[in-house]
Amino acid sequence: MLSVAGLTRRFGEQLALDDVSFDVVPGRMTGFVGANGAGKTTAMRIILGVLAATAGEVCWNDRPLTQDVRRDFGYMPEERGLYPKMKIRDQLVFFGRLHGLEPLRAAERTDKLLERLGLAERATDVLETLSLGNQQRVQIAAALVHEPSALVLDEPFSGLDPLAVDAMVDLLREEVTPEVPVLFSSHQLDLVERLCDDLVVLSRGKVVAAGPVAELAAGPTMTYRLVVDGDAGWLRDVEGIRVRDVAGGTALFDVEDAAVEQSVLEQAVGRGRVLEFGPERVALSDVFREATR
Amino acid sequence: MNDRTLDRPWVLIAEREISTKLRDKTFIGSTAVMLLLVLVAVIVPALLAGSGGPDKIAVVDDAGAKIVQQARHDDGFEAVRTADRASASALVAEGEVKAALLPGDDGYVVLGKDRVDSGLEGALREAAATLGMETNAARAGLSPSELHAGTSVKLELLKPGPLPDIVADFVNIGLALVFYMTALGFGMMIAQSVVQEKESRVVEILAAAVPIRSLLWGKVLGNTALALGQIVVIAGASMVGLAATDQLAILSVIAPVAGWFVVFFVLGFVALAGLWAVAGSLATRQEDLGSTTLPGQMILMIPFFFSVFAGSSAKTVASFVPIASSMAMPGRMLTEKVPVWQPLLAIAILLAATVLIIRLGARLYERTLLQTGRRLSYREALRA
Repeated sequence: MLSVAGLTRRFGEQLALDDVSFDVVPGRMTGFVGANGAGKTTAMRIILGVLAATAGEVCWNDRPLTQDVRRDFGYMPEERGLYPKMKIRDQLVFFGRLHGLEPLRAAERTDKLLERLGLAERATDVLETLSLGNQQRVQIAAALVHEPSALVLDEPFSGLDPLAVDAMVDLLREEVTPEVPVLFSSHQLDLVERLCDDLVVLSRGKVVAAGPVAELAAGPTMTYRLVVDGDAGWLRDVEGIRVRDVAGGTALFDVEDAAVEQSVLEQAVGRGRVLEFGPERVALSDVFREATR
Repeated sequence: MNDRTLDRPWVLIAEREISTKLRDKTFIGSTAVMLLLVLVAVIVPALLAGSGGPDKIAVVDDAGAKIVQQARHDDGFEAVRTADRASASALVAEGEVKAALLPGDDGYVVLGKDRVDSGLEGALREAAATLGMETNAARAGLSPSELHAGTSVKLELLKPGPLPDIVADFVNIGLALVFYMTALGFGMMIAQSVVQEKESRVVEILAAAVPIRSLLWGKVLGNTALALGQIVVIAGASMVGLAATDQLAILSVIAPVAGWFVVFFVLGFVALAGLWAVAGSLATRQEDLGSTTLPGQMILMIPFFFSVFAGSSAKTVASFVPIASSMAMPGRMLTEKVPVWQPLLAIAILLAATVLIIRLGARLYERTLLQTGRRLSYREALRA
């Protein structure tokens, strides 16, 4: 497990990270969201050791992270970067070896990834002659080539069209084994909601929300939605719930006492046709807005 | 998960550095041009000097022919008999002969076209005078040996140099120039390759995977190996050129110094390479290199002019100053007899300086490599 504890970073007067702590659990994708300048990239760079923390530490399986362990991590920086004038196959083999692979293994992995990404025929092309989308594919291959023990991806999908995003997500799912923790930051909340198991929300250098996406989206109280054939005004008299809104046959209510929603459903069925009943999911963007307000 | 090898990452960095350069057409091209220039410099003078054979001198009588045969000169003279003055001066005018030796009012006249080589003139003058005086002496009853008794002059040198002055100077400048150009050329390439990694941001991935010091070491070692390879190829070619054109005297002096030169070269180059890498890491774009590499250029240029043009005592001092010693000490060893403790001491000083410079360089490199915001000054890097 990858965890950060009490991470703080100052740039002069400015506090970029303020006592940030969270865990990235193996086999789960953790989404890292926050407005521009919230401190996501700073935190990721500290995890990868390219920036020093003012205070706090990064741990791997409860021990302080060392250079040797970090060498097995895969990293995709926000500002993309590979050698523009190097052939892509040579480049991926080089990065594989840089992360400690044997030359043969590095070549094997490179060929597999290039095949998988549909870039096999372009293996001997120089990176800068590829389209931006293909360069991005090579970039993610560079993070995956050494079968990383953990993945840190800074905005991995920015600039990709929806089809390319899907292809990339498939590749990640295929490549990332259950023991690998994955942390990725994104602005695209719908994507994060679709892909992530856990979420860390950062605002002005502080963690304002963290936990499984399902729990965060559900909120602290459960909200239900009921649609009946007829008027739903009777709900206002039911004990143990708080009605948020009634408009004709459609109603939204919060459950205050445990399991009271079941008796509400029974009453509704007794009164007539029930068209719709179930918990109302809050969109992640609302959670995000709420948390970072 | 995998067979993770704990190989030294700087070997990998050095490998990449070398294989990239060896595929770079500009690098291969410039090496070829340098090789060609050196070969031309070695071979052409030998061909020009050797092409003449004995100089031809036109004469009109037996006395003249005798003087020409007596005259001592590099390759000797060959007398060409002509019928009279007119045909002799015609040969001079056509360039068939170097000069004509004609009887004059009181002795001889050396007739040339537009100019006469002073060595040639002197040799003829001396031979004419000797023969004339021997004839005069014979009339007065003196034999030639009596005439010449006590007049011979021999040359002795207090500090005989291994090579004639001009050749020594030439070789000295050549060696200093080879160091200067190689160090400058490779230095700029190192700075450029660092700033390219910063510009393309690939440095972020490199720094996440391996310690920044390994990046520096890999770069320095890769480029040192390349530079040394280039020097060895050029030196080898010039030695083959010297041997092929029979300039064995020069070769026998250069060959023993060549080993020393390699040691001085490698140490001086490594120290500078550390500075050039820092020059690259201070910059954020190629355009910044002009100002960040200025100190490096100065550190090379000043000792270069010093070791080539300074007087002999200044050169002696320079031959112990780190970096300058890489150019001055091999130069001194070519032009004068240097006791062996001197180059050894110079190497010890250079080695200590190289270690210090590389350490300082590594620290500055670590501080500045990941700063991609704007160009930094040396002062900021030292303070940070």
